Amino acid sequence: MSISSLYFPTEPAAPQVVSSSPGPKSQAAITALGNVFDSRAAYFVSDYEKSVGNYLVDVDGNTYLDVYAQIASIPLGYNNPALIEAAKSDKMIRAIVDRPALGNFPGKDSEEIIAEILKVAPKGQDKLWSGLSGADANELAFKAVFFWYQSKKRGYTTQFTAEENESVMKNQAPGSPDLAILSFERAFHGRLFASGSTTCSKPIHKLDLPSFNWPKAEFPSYKYPLDQNETENAAEDARCLSIVENLFNTWKVPIAGLLVEPIQSEGGDNHASKAFLQGLRDITLKHGALMIVDEVQTGVGATGKLWAHEHFDISPVPDLVTFSKKFQSAGYFFHDPELVPNFAYRQFNTWCGDPARMILAGAIGHEVVKHDLPAVAKRVGDYLYKKLEALQTKYPKYIRDLRGKDRATFIAWSLADVTARNKFLADMKTVGVNIGGCAEDSVRLRPTLVFEEKHADILVDAIDKILSGY
Amino acid sequence: MLRASANALARRASARSLSSVAAKYFPSEPAHPQLVTPAIPGPKSIQLNNDLGEKFDNRATYFVADYKNSLGNYISDADGNKLLDVYCQIASIGLGYNNPALIEAAKSDEMVYALIDRPALACFPSTTYKEILEDGILAAAPPSMSRVWTALSGSDANETAYKAAFMYQHAKLRGDQDFSSEELTSVMDNATPGASEMKILSFDKGFHGRLFGSLSTTRSKAIHKLDIPAFQWPKAPFPKLKYPLDEFATENHAEELACLEAFEDILSQHKGASKVAAIIVEPVQAEGGDNHASSFFFQGLRDITIKHDVLMIVDEVQTGVGATGKMWAHEHWNLTTPPDMVTFSKKFQAAGFYYSNPQLQPNQPYRQFNTWCGDPSKAIIAKTIYQEIVKNDLVTRTAAVGDYLYGGLQLLASKYPAHIKNLRGENFGTFIAWDCRDAGARNEILIKCRDRGVNVGGCGDMAIRMRPTLTFEEKHANVFLQVLEDVLNYM
Repeated sequence: MSISSLYFPTEPAAPQVVSSSPGPKSQAAITALGNVFDSRAAYFVSDYEKSVGNYLVDVDGNTYLDVYAQIASIPLGYNNPALIEAAKSDKMIRAIVDRPALGNFPGKDSEEIIAEILKVAPKGQDKLWSGLSGADANELAFKAVFFWYQSKKRGYTTQFTAEENESVMKNQAPGSPDLAILSFERAFHGRLFASGSTTCSKPIHKLDLPSFNWPKAEFPSYKYPLDQNETENAAEDARCLSIVENLFNTWKVPIAGLLVEPIQSEGGDNHASKAFLQGLRDITLKHGALMIVDEVQTGVGATGKLWAHEHFDISPVPDLVTFSKKFQSAGYFFHDPELVPNFAYRQFNTWCGDPARMILAGAIGHEVVKHDLPAVAKRVGDYLYKKLEALQTKYPKYIRDLRGKDRATFIAWSLADVTARNKFLADMKTVGVNIGGCAEDSVRLRPTLVFEEKHADILVDAIDKILSGY
Repeated sequence: MLRASANALARRASARSLSSVAAKYFPSEPAHPQLVTPAIPGPKSIQLNNDLGEKFDNRATYFVADYKNSLGNYISDADGNKLLDVYCQIASIGLGYNNPALIEAAKSDEMVYALIDRPALACFPSTTYKEILEDGILAAAPPSMSRVWTALSGSDANETAYKAAFMYQHAKLRGDQDFSSEELTSVMDNATPGASEMKILSFDKGFHGRLFGSLSTTRSKAIHKLDIPAFQWPKAPFPKLKYPLDEFATENHAEELACLEAFEDILSQHKGASKVAAIIVEPVQAEGGDNHASSFFFQGLRDITIKHDVLMIVDEVQTGVGATGKMWAHEHWNLTTPPDMVTFSKKFQAAGFYYSNPQLQPNQPYRQFNTWCGDPSKAIIAKTIYQEIVKNDLVTRTAAVGDYLYGGLQLLASKYPAHIKNLRGENFGTFIAWDCRDAGARNEILIKCRDRGVNVGGCGDMAIRMRPTLTFEEKHANVFLQVLEDVLNYM
């Protein structure tokens, strides 16, 4: 049976457009909100109470098929009954009203809540540290990496020197060492100060902010279709790997960790091969650095596996895997006990995560496994990809470099430029589809895990309709 | 030793005459601690914590709590001990455990939607977010603050405020010009001029969080900072006041003047594109040891920041939401010009920063931006907390209970001068602290209090801080004072 019908017997059969987007009510509400909260990025104002499954309803009454899903963060559709049940549970009520300082006063149910999340941990990972957002998760991972790196030099149980204790209070070495995290051009890892330093997607994300002078390597730019460009793409992998190797050898400060997305999402849905990712793994091992895989956007099923990096059988498994978005909770998975810093209160803050969000993550994980939703995503993604291939042949100017084959619904393509792309995104709203872009010229599909063939048909028809008018 | 002002005496009297809000919220709140194991943590706590340690760093655990059986000002542990809690999840429980008003909010349809349909707020705000903000976080705003940007934690709140400050200062320098091509290119290499060389100034012993930008401004303890790369941002001295304040008025004034002078010197050393964009300061340096300064000092900071065109961020993460006897601690100062930004988190459960100048909103969208931009479920809780505070006049009550508690501690200080030194927080609600003889004695007192049924926390190197809920009353203060006296007797 259709999983979306099971969850959402009343899900609309089709989008419904009753006004332009944003409609008059949305516009008025965005203006009013703007008096107290920066609302300039608002597409429209949503009525979440009326939204259901894959359909997002706005305040004007437009019903959109949503393949953007809150920037890739709604896993099981709007108002999913399993999540409603979790939200109404006694455990949830307590998590909300008695929010613990988890590091000092864990609750009786903390172990159970964490165990539920770990049931869907990536292969080879059996511990986690929890945070609040993707940026937070990545920065916590950086901290773990830096603690580990210094402890390898110092000895795990060695005390700090007086000089370290003194210099660190002035933000100076050796207590506050010059160490780097290596990331990639076009990467996106968040917008706090260290995560912002590793983000390299667009200038607007970074301008006017102080940043750590950390190195960027090139991420492969493949030619599509992949099966017709294998030799060139393999050469591209080798070229990029040599840049990474070179940075490890020459960067002015030691590189403690390498941070990479399995698919660079904000940066344009740039894919990498198994050879490239394994090559990165080998370089980190060779140089005594750790590998952090950022699965904030790729994680939790949308690529057809629970965690996208599992497509590549990276060996040995990554040292840390960060998560957020579709999991609602955030943090990093790991397995090496020495990634737990040698003393308490080093990886620490008031809340150390949020049990309310962790309970939801557990419930999401449970549903994902129960209904094998990565397999659903794969089935639907394969179906959708074929249809998009056909459209690509029909509209080669508007569907370029189609990518995401065998990556379930994690599909994207490019248009000629930012103007063409933005026009396409806006036009799709006129036929009731809420769809998002990435990089300057790309369109990305980020539907829920309960997006099925019937939704794919509507999406493909809508694209065809819009492009046929170009 | 008793030097309470007439005001304080009047408030203290009113504390006694008020009906108990705690009794109304929590009819079955314990009357005193209930102990079932000889030491805390007990065997069940230890077992559960060991299980947890297989999956999660648990080495800072005091005990494993049973939140279901906690009530009001009493926290239950897994063994069934019920402790009077004056630490309150590191100062973050506002209305007591299992407060019925919060339970109602948590069970509301509004909350269910906020939990399961979490929006990317800046792109797809909900129909209700404006109202949630206006009825809650913004209704509670400090004087003259009219806007808010929401975040997820105190660190996050501070870092988003820093981002606003940097973008504001660069916009001022840049004037009408667009970003230059050099800026657009260099920023992608994390290099100037696109990446900024401006700074955030903080104070010695300040605590502002533990992410990389906020940690660079945190100056409390080495263990918070070691092995983490940091920005080379300046720190200024924070006054080290001598107690009792009225005996050392002249010396303390001289100390504050010297600190202000050193502060202005630092601002003068950084100019133009590498200037100090903003300073961040806590009304009371809480993690750093509950270090207070006078209104004179903070007014001095405000005057100097205005003179140097530097923004002033007040970090009210720990001091905010009523505990000091005002909704926001910086209201005690009566500044002639309000701060530029005020950050909040902890007791409010929601986090973010207040501001009023529209130019603190960057010139383009997607600069101050992220996927979630806050969390409506926490904003709903903040709204409920604020409404309960108003309904029950909890800030006034906290001021009165604080005076009562402070008076009791003064008496104990005169009886045990070796163990209660530099008592501070007079006329500052329940936001009270004192120094012990040394770190060892402090830690021993904390443990002995816990074993007698009071959960109390430390700060700085040798201080004990009171961080009870806003429903902490005279009867709770009496329990606390009795246990503390028992412990000090034993020391």
